[in-house]
Amino acid sequence: MDKDKVLELKQVIEKKLNRPMLYYLDLCTRCGLCYDTCHAYQGIPKKEYSPVGRAEVVRKVFRKYFKPTGKIFPWWGDAQEFDENLMEELREAAFSCTGCRRCTMFCPFGIDMPYILGIAKELLIAYGNAPEELVMLADGAVEKGKSVDMFKEGYKGVIKDLEKEVQKLINAPTSDGLIPMEKKGANILFVGLSGAHSIVYPAAIFNAAKEDWTLSYFEAVNFGFFAGDSEKANFIANRVINEAKELGVKEIVIVECGTAYRIPKFLMGPLPFKVSSIVEVIHRYIKEGRIKIKEGVITEPVTWHDPCQLGRNGGVYDQPREVLNILAKDFREMNPTREYNWCCGGGGGLVALDNEEFRIKSGKPKKEQIEKTGAKMVVTACENCHLQLSTINAGYGMGVTIESFTKLVGENLIV
Amino acid sequence: MLGYISYFILIPMVYIAFATLILGLMYKFYVIFKAPVPAGTGAIFPKKGSKVLGLLYDAMIFPMAYNKQKFFWFIIMVFHIAFFFLFLGHLELVYEFKFIQIIPHKVFLGGGVVGIILIITTLYFLFRRFGTPYREISIPEDFVILLVLFFCILFGSILHLAERYSDWGAVLRVDVNDYRQWLQSMILLKPELSYKITELSHYTILVLHVLFANIFLMMFPFSKMVHSVLTFLAHYRKRK
Repeated sequence: MDKDKVLELKQVIEKKLNRPMLYYLDLCTRCGLCYDTCHAYQGIPKKEYSPVGRAEVVRKVFRKYFKPTGKIFPWWGDAQEFDENLMEELREAAFSCTGCRRCTMFCPFGIDMPYILGIAKELLIAYGNAPEELVMLADGAVEKGKSVDMFKEGYKGVIKDLEKEVQKLINAPTSDGLIPMEKKGANILFVGLSGAHSIVYPAAIFNAAKEDWTLSYFEAVNFGFFAGDSEKANFIANRVINEAKELGVKEIVIVECGTAYRIPKFLMGPLPFKVSSIVEVIHRYIKEGRIKIKEGVITEPVTWHDPCQLGRNGGVYDQPREVLNILAKDFREMNPTREYNWCCGGGGGLVALDNEEFRIKSGKPKKEQIEKTGAKMVVTACENCHLQLSTINAGYGMGVTIESFTKLVGENLIV
Repeated sequence: MLGYISYFILIPMVYIAFATLILGLMYKFYVIFKAPVPAGTGAIFPKKGSKVLGLLYDAMIFPMAYNKQKFFWFIIMVFHIAFFFLFLGHLELVYEFKFIQIIPHKVFLGGGVVGIILIITTLYFLFRRFGTPYREISIPEDFVILLVLFFCILFGSILHLAERYSDWGAVLRVDVNDYRQWLQSMILLKPELSYKITELSHYTILVLHVLFANIFLMMFPFSKMVHSVLTFLAHYRKRK
């Protein structure tokens, strides 16, 4: 690799060396307690898919260029220079990790392994080796943010069609105004995805609850974050934050997308409005008696898959379980569950990549977990999880139904 | 010649070792604390217990290790507790701290058991690294640190056990006050090495013990040993 490129890559690392990154890079003792805590390692037992194995790829290069020992005695810390092989190792490490942080649960030092992989992703972007799919999707989202006015009229037309579907779900006399847009001072700004289902069911629920809400022009998913491009990730997140500020809403509610929830809720610092997941809002409406759902309508055994960004990284555990216990006659818990739950293997943008074989293999612990419950229906509240669970379901011929939490509630509203 | 080397290890090198340790750690903390702090939190849910107590619990009781490998957790706990007792014992070699004498004892609580426990646990950590999958993730630093620690504890234990139990130790027994005189003179920057120490029958063992201790202290800020202090920061972010 030529000197200029090495210098550029060194600068990329330097930019990422904030306080937590510095201590995460330094304090691992390689005790190996995290070794088999990753679903990918469970499916494909290779060092490259262990959390410590992944983090060590980044540490090797960090030691080489930023630690005196790595410069003077590279053998001491297994320090390594940038080269083609290393870049390939970084790609394998970064894009086999979903960012679920299950490994962090088992690290005696509290190291956030996916955080370290942020360096790997940023290096891959600078080297031009990042997954093209994610980079293109991130660019598309940034472009939309820059020229939203061009999209507005077309989008309003699409929404008009969706209002008719909402009307059917809640038996409303008219479809007009069922999906409000650009409503200043509304209580809630709802941020959906590009799929119609991500807007229709929440809209039905908001209308049933007589909520004062408005729909965002943007989709919640943050491909900049998945690609590991901090600049684009911030831009994409700020599109919605700025929209919420301009409208003066009290709360933004995020569709079934774990990462889209975690970013504004936990990673953007203090915001002048509340951030909630649609799961929390549905639970709140039921508790307050603002919506009613059919009791015991699901007769077959049901289980809940905690999306990692909603559960372990978001703290939303009890709300979906309470709702499902109303809807289902036979709710079954997975084992391990909650913060120890296995990741499905689809997060971190992995479902958007051409890697189905890998995802089926890395989904093995999730498949076994589901089978052990004996459930016939798996409910979740994350689009990535939904897609990945469907892939596992088909890949292993499990014959279960994968269901979206919001859709299930929307279809079983008592109106 | 050997006398000069021994003198270097027991006096100038001890100063070099402590200076490297203190300055190295200060520099490390300077770099860490001047680095920008990202917005938001790295919290893991549920956040059990209070922030401070929970942080201490996570960093000092290692519940994550307990959940994962109970035997390994037991070894880690025993090692760290023994290390703490060893630290107290060395404090007593410098000065007679009353609080350590709550349980009246001859200097070094445990009568030599602490050192033996540390030898066994250090060997466990070392040999564990030769097995799969730990061998694959280990780097030279991991082995070197454990070997340095092992030899340091081994020579320290020989010193202590010989002193306490063997006839050989009884021939030229060193009084704890002689150690205190030497170590206090070092602290006061007026180093003085009494003949009562240099003429000891196990003087060479003492020199080797201090040599490995010096190496360990010098490696500390530049190695993974910093986990002992940085773990508090990492656990804090997890509970923020």
